[in-house]
Amino acid sequence: MAEVIKSFRPQVTWANARGAWPDMIFSTRVRFARNLAGFPFPNRAEPRQLAEIRRLALAAARDSGLFSRGHFLKTEALSQLEKRFLVERHHISHALAASVLPSGAAVANDEDLSVMINEEDHLRLQCLNSGFAIEDSFKAALKLDSALGRELPFAYGGKFGFLTACPTNVGTGMRVSCLAHLPALSRLGRMPAVLENLSHLGVTARGIYGEGTYVLGDFYQISNATCLGRSEEDFCQNIDRVIRNLIRQEIAAREEMLKGPLKLKTEDAVFRALGLLKHARRLSYEEFMQNISLARMGAAMGWNMGVDFSTFNQVTLLLQPAHIQAAAGRALNPDERDALRADYLRGKLA
Amino acid sequence: MKLCEECNKAAAAVFLKLAVNNKVTETHLCPACAAKKGIGLGLEAGAFNISDIVGNMSGYFKDFLPPERKTLRCRSCGLKYSEFKETGRLGCPDCYDGFAVQLTELMTRIHGASQHAGRSYDGGASLKLSKSEVARRLEELRADLKVAVAREDFEGAARLRDAMKALEGRHG
Repeated sequence: MAEVIKSFRPQVTWANARGAWPDMIFSTRVRFARNLAGFPFPNRAEPRQLAEIRRLALAAARDSGLFSRGHFLKTEALSQLEKRFLVERHHISHALAASVLPSGAAVANDEDLSVMINEEDHLRLQCLNSGFAIEDSFKAALKLDSALGRELPFAYGGKFGFLTACPTNVGTGMRVSCLAHLPALSRLGRMPAVLENLSHLGVTARGIYGEGTYVLGDFYQISNATCLGRSEEDFCQNIDRVIRNLIRQEIAAREEMLKGPLKLKTEDAVFRALGLLKHARRLSYEEFMQNISLARMGAAMGWNMGVDFSTFNQVTLLLQPAHIQAAAGRALNPDERDALRADYLRGKLA
Repeated sequence: MKLCEECNKAAAAVFLKLAVNNKVTETHLCPACAAKKGIGLGLEAGAFNISDIVGNMSGYFKDFLPPERKTLRCRSCGLKYSEFKETGRLGCPDCYDGFAVQLTELMTRIHGASQHAGRSYDGGASLKLSKSEVARRLEELRADLKVAVAREDFEGAARLRDAMKALEGRHG
């Protein structure tokens, strides 16, 4: 079984439900897109150049001291399962997992910091924290950026700032995002209007694994849509304002769901979901996510779900397809995965 | 206006971009067809709304990019401006100088600004490399240069010579 997966901790700090509003904000992420001066961007670089960039990046990450006892990975040395595991942990993207060119990642021991190497840009530095934690994540990501920027010559110009392969990332190269759980707004059918409104506020909503992915379990990744022309702090403040407003709307929607005849309907849906999670013998990840979304909301409404948010978050992470197979110690077909997922969950929720 | 690629009748309102096996597929759908496709995966109509168009580079660029001379290309990496319009990806940091005029207009459309106002950085040019690191990279560039000359790629050879000159100034 995959040695790389074994070297990762079974649980991660960014899913421990600490920080502000853990019932609504699963995690906060700040990432910087950076490239090395003197090299073409990955889409136009030779494999030899990409290997050189990776060598430099992994060495700089090691030298920064921020990755002690961390993971230094080369993508082509990883199995499919290992790559999927890293995607599920949000350390690499689907695009990087599919890459056949020299690429890789450095991941800190407690997985709050990571560097993705040779995806669309040479480097994507990220800090990932539990709950609503924009300021802390920004500061930690900035520290990583400074440390690597001392070791590596970043491509930078006075006019366009940090230069990136795609012009949408140029400038600060920064993307601040919160993984928001919005079950009440979703259930009341408000999300299309909410998302429409967000698009006027310089903010983008994506699915759980980032660009081009589906919305699962009412989780939305909310991030800044632009990153040039304002300071990093300004962009952070804008997202902070938008998220606080979104939290207020979700709270109001949850209150609405507890009023009058809606209350019994809501309670019924929540406890049916809990019953399903507790007693199902086969559970696909999609079905699991739909139902845990309701159970999570039930816990936030003060009903006894038998477990805390930390457990909800950890199972959300650990019951993903590659994680289930990692726990089993072998590759499983979807039927086997669904059975094992249901078994594991019954143990946790009993 | 773009039509839904599924029914070819209604206006496309939902844009889906999926990266599968290094290939990016793009789909434009009307809300009804998107809802049909999303069943079982919790896809909310509107989840990929107007704001994601910023992520839809190729279509976006074709419609909005300013016209250019056919010959325009980056002096460093050789990327043609027309190639950038196809892929939405620049070839190297120097493309930002080569296409500065066109990109300034594009930035205003994407970001609503064309001047960086965030942190500055001065580590790039002043960064020193060890003698052995410079020697190692020079060796690689020299090998590339040989190949370029043998292929009679004189433009490429000139770029490599420039790179070697720049590299020689970086040990200290």
